[in-house]
Amino acid sequence: MTPHFGLPEFGFLLRGLQWTVLLTLVAFVGGCTAGLAVALLRTCGHKGVEWITRIYIGIFQGTPLLLQLFVVYYGLALTGLKLDAFVAVAIGFTVNASAFLGEIWRGAIQAVPRGQTEAAMALGLHYSSRMRDIVLPQAIRISLPATIGYLVQLIKGTSLAAIVGFIELARAGQIVSNQTFQPLLVFGVVGAMYFILCWPLSWWGSRMEARLALASQR
Amino acid sequence: MQDNILIEMKGVQKWYGGYQALRDVDLIVRKGEKIVLCGPSGSGKSTLIRCINRLEAIQQGSIVVNGHRLDDSIKAIDVVRQDVGMVFQSFNLFPHMTVLQNCTLAPIRARRISKSEAEATARKYLERVHIGDQAEKYPAQLSGGQQQRVAIARALCMQPKVMLFDEPTSALDPEMVKEVLDTMIGLANDGMTMICVTHEMGFARQVADRVIFMAEGQIIEEGAPDAFFRNPQHARTRQFLGEILAHH
Repeated sequence: MTPHFGLPEFGFLLRGLQWTVLLTLVAFVGGCTAGLAVALLRTCGHKGVEWITRIYIGIFQGTPLLLQLFVVYYGLALTGLKLDAFVAVAIGFTVNASAFLGEIWRGAIQAVPRGQTEAAMALGLHYSSRMRDIVLPQAIRISLPATIGYLVQLIKGTSLAAIVGFIELARAGQIVSNQTFQPLLVFGVVGAMYFILCWPLSWWGSRMEARLALASQR
Repeated sequence: MQDNILIEMKGVQKWYGGYQALRDVDLIVRKGEKIVLCGPSGSGKSTLIRCINRLEAIQQGSIVVNGHRLDDSIKAIDVVRQDVGMVFQSFNLFPHMTVLQNCTLAPIRARRISKSEAEATARKYLERVHIGDQAEKYPAQLSGGQQQRVAIARALCMQPKVMLFDEPTSALDPEMVKEVLDTMIGLANDGMTMICVTHEMGFARQVADRVIFMAEGQIIEEGAPDAFFRNPQHARTRQFLGEILAHH
């Protein structure tokens, strides 16, 4: 007898949702940290360092995420480093996010008017203070809509983790659908879960964008 | 007299790629002197003052500020910037900070002064530029003239030995020019050493000890304002003064 979509199945989807959220959080926090480093190196003024960072960004933006996950999961296994599926995809997503966020913030740092840095230099402020007190607070504000947009992409993108056998929300949906033969219902629920996660963020992002547009008109 | 020299530029040359922005510039500024730099756009006057606090690097020559030779070392640049305040054409206030925070950031971070002391100093200078009651506002809530006065106060909070003004009134609406000039005149009367890039010839007449005219990266001529305006020596100066005075 095939089971119907009931509470146990819903619970299974919820656990998938948990993993999706957890993977997103790890990748986003890790990606933010590493991405900040990428953005700072990319704008540090040292030609060689900027060039290397550019290649780093280019590699991760220019190859499919799927391929990057394969490399981390199967590639590292070949070298004898056997990673847990979650750890592997977390690393893959983090590194990928660091390249994308790094590039978003690179643009934001460069969008802060040059005069801000000059005024800070004229006041005798060092690089660390110039970045921490002057440039980054303004850059983060500028980049907030794009950063939130990336986060939404990341949430949905974590479904790729299923490829190495990691059971997150989309994969959980597939399993339940195969068991119950109720794909419309199951994927309807899965879709609704993604939507509840992503839509408020999208809404927040576009609201920030509107507020920024208003502020820049003043 | 030697002791009184605050800034000494010798044989300064600066290029932007293939374009020479400063040609063999010599300049001595003594303590308490007020100097007005004028000249057509692209003449190198802004570049010249931006070299004094090393916002621009020079390729040849030497710059000594308050006895410290400016080279590429971070230490030398630091020491010089502690002594040199700057006011920009576009104010460059920090938009995400209140007026008070704008004024206290550098003293706290660069001079390592306590917050309360920095705030007391900031309020004193904000009073002096007649903007004490706006300390808690953000720059965007102020008029252009008020913003520029905050920028002056911000620079003064670092207690510089010399103030550089890079066309401080050029971005202002006409009715706000006077309040900024009055602030600068007040500063001059208090004995501050000043180098001002400006086209405000009334200001030059009133406060300048010397007016310097630049064209094509060179100092063409200089003199006390009276002689400079009444009897300019070079044709290039006469032409410039003719153009600029026609608009005033």
